[in-house]
Amino acid sequence: METYLWITSVWGVYLTAIVFFGGMGWRIYEWSTTPKSAVRLGMFPKPKSGAGRFAKLLGDTFIAPQSAKIEPTMWTFAFAFHLAALGAFVGHGRLIKEFPVLPEMLGEAGMNTFAAWTGSIAGIVMLAGVLFWIARRTYGPFKNLSVPEDYLLLFLLLGVVVMGDHMRFVYGGTIHAGVYRDWFMSVLTFKPAFPSELLSSNVSVSLGTHMLFADLFLMYFPFSKLVHSIGAFSSNLVRSSE
Amino acid sequence: MDSQQLTTLTGVIDKKMNRQLKQYMDICARCAICKDACHQYVGTGDFKYLPARRAELIRQIYKKYFTKSGEFVPALYEARDPDDNLLDELYDSAYACTGCRRCMYYCPFSIDTAWILSVAKAILIAAGRGNEMLGQLADAAIFKGDNAEMFNDVMISGFEDIQEEVREITGNPNSRIPVNKEGADILYVALAGAHTIRPAAVIFEEAGENWTISMFEAANYGFFYGDTDKARLITKRYIDEAKRLGVKEIVVPECGHAYRVAEMFYEAWSKEPMPFKISHILEKVDEYIKSGRITVEKGLIEGKVTYHDPCQIGRNGGIFEQPRDIVKAVTDDFVDLIPNRQEQWCCGGGGGIVAMDEFKETRLASGSKKVEQLRASGASVLACPCENCRLQIEELNEMHGLGLQVWQVIDLVVAAMPLKGKKPVHV
Ligand code: HEM
Ligand code: SF4
Ligand code: SF4
Repeated sequence: METYLWITSVWGVYLTAIVFFGGMGWRIYEWSTTPKSAVRLGMFPKPKSGAGRFAKLLGDTFIAPQSAKIEPTMWTFAFAFHLAALGAFVGHGRLIKEFPVLPEMLGEAGMNTFAAWTGSIAGIVMLAGVLFWIARRTYGPFKNLSVPEDYLLLFLLLGVVVMGDHMRFVYGGTIHAGVYRDWFMSVLTFKPAFPSELLSSNVSVSLGTHMLFADLFLMYFPFSKLVHSIGAFSSNLVRSSE
Repeated sequence: MDSQQLTTLTGVIDKKMNRQLKQYMDICARCAICKDACHQYVGTGDFKYLPARRAELIRQIYKKYFTKSGEFVPALYEARDPDDNLLDELYDSAYACTGCRRCMYYCPFSIDTAWILSVAKAILIAAGRGNEMLGQLADAAIFKGDNAEMFNDVMISGFEDIQEEVREITGNPNSRIPVNKEGADILYVALAGAHTIRPAAVIFEEAGENWTISMFEAANYGFFYGDTDKARLITKRYIDEAKRLGVKEIVVPECGHAYRVAEMFYEAWSKEPMPFKISHILEKVDEYIKSGRITVEKGLIEGKVTYHDPCQIGRNGGIFEQPRDIVKAVTDDFVDLIPNRQEQWCCGGGGGIVAMDEFKETRLASGSKKVEQLRASGASVLACPCENCRLQIEELNEMHGLGLQVWQVIDLVVAAMPLKGKKPVHV
């Protein structure tokens, strides 16, 4: 079991970090060094003031109100998923440092309960989002439009979410953030080691598998359509400024 | 497929590549949110008309020849060569697209499918598969530009005939259609039909405008064909004329794409700044009414009036309110279609599709949403700029027995002007 953890949760993390940041950097480099269209591609109406245009860009990108209007169901699942993913991302910050303020307000046990609730909600919402997307891609025009990339991403994402949820719902009561933090900080400080609580429990299988999927997902990320996460801002400019 | 052809076709993508196109290729989530935005997909249910599918054909080539991941694992993206199968489907999806950009409006990333399809058309042309009809119309327009003297007499005698009609309408024997007038403020570039000149001339003359008529048409089949060089040459005809006459402003007719070509595209095509102000005729007419340069009366137009936003001047051109203000100046009984303005349904007649018989069935089926909207409005008069929109809507009108009168906006204006001459007949 220790070998599995070393591969997925130590060396895998390093490799993923290199591929992910290198890939995203390359992607941004490619985009920014390709000249913009000489033709004006703008769409109307546009706000008159600079502030209005900036606000519109943020609104278009984070809320996509037009998409909400034409496909409310899809939009609801997508919005909930992205929000939950953001929540999960922030929540993972506890791996590095305990949040400020909150633990003082809630106490240590209270903080763990709070994290359990928010983490569980985010975990369930993400699972629902992924299952909805998978289901949607099994029929009609959605199926015809899908390519293997779409299923691969959703499969990897499902793995990440299911194993994350597994750790939360099965081991959430016994293993808390502090234990994972010891492991994660050891990786970040290049002195990788696993705390004994992890090695002595079956949670190591879940963690290893969560990390396996996360590594693969994040390594593929920069080479997939998920670069929409950074590209959406500049592609949406046509609505507000260009 | 043979490597010469492959190099040519991928070379087209390379030449057309820019930041937006690259991002469109990289970021589409294939979420299909654009599906129900497209009147052609909604009207026919045919998968090849789903906007993201149309773009996907170009993406398949892009992935294989422009990305490492697609080169190594093409199966992951269904990446493939631009072979005959692909080009066959591409032909339909590219030339049928009306360029309305309604899909772009609803896409969470604003992916401009119509722009991607302009690259598709360039690929088709390079493969010798461009639409023949559009190509011929474009060449004819360029021929006219190169041999202008040949057409001079015919054009001038045509304008004289129209001038007579204008005088009958205004009741003023001094009303004119000024030809080749140096030092005019405005060059009006009409379409080929007299109906685009007559009411405009009445309005310019009554407004006391210092204008002159162009020897060329604003329609641009080079743009529809997908050849930017041809499109540029066709536009250049009247840009050069405007320079020669020393006008200050070019006014384009109600036609939708003519406005976008002159206002949005020509600078980039010609790589030089546009030396003139470009106005749409309805912007001018709105100004004339608001400043009192022409007078219109309410009550002369009978029935409930509604308005259709042509995609190229609305969502893609930013002219939403001026035409509405004009219509509201001639009637109290105005109702908007739902949805309207930037969300307006494309009528299905844009992008040159009315000139291509092979798409007739698709075109008429794609009008289903427009028909629903028109029915629901309860209007009996439709004010509709854009020649292509009118051709399409008149055909839908007949086919579905809508009983609508379809008017150019400038015809409505002339009908509402208290003139001394005889009322024009509505065509
Ligand atoms: C900022 C604006 C963003 C918008 C408008 C947006 C929009 C979308 C849309 C429309 C989908 C389509 C879902 C589908 O049918 O598969 C999607 C999927 C997804 N997005 Fe985003 N997204 C944004 C940012 C992000 C960010 C920052 C991430 C970072 C993790 C992200 C990760 C994902 C993932 C993992 C999927 C599922 C992919 C799949 O279906 O295979 N998105 N997003
Ligand atoms: S809505 Fe946009 S991102 Fe979604 S499939 Fe259509 S083009 Fe792609
Ligand atoms: S531009 Fe209009 S016709 Fe073309 S794919 Fe998009 S919605 Fe359909």
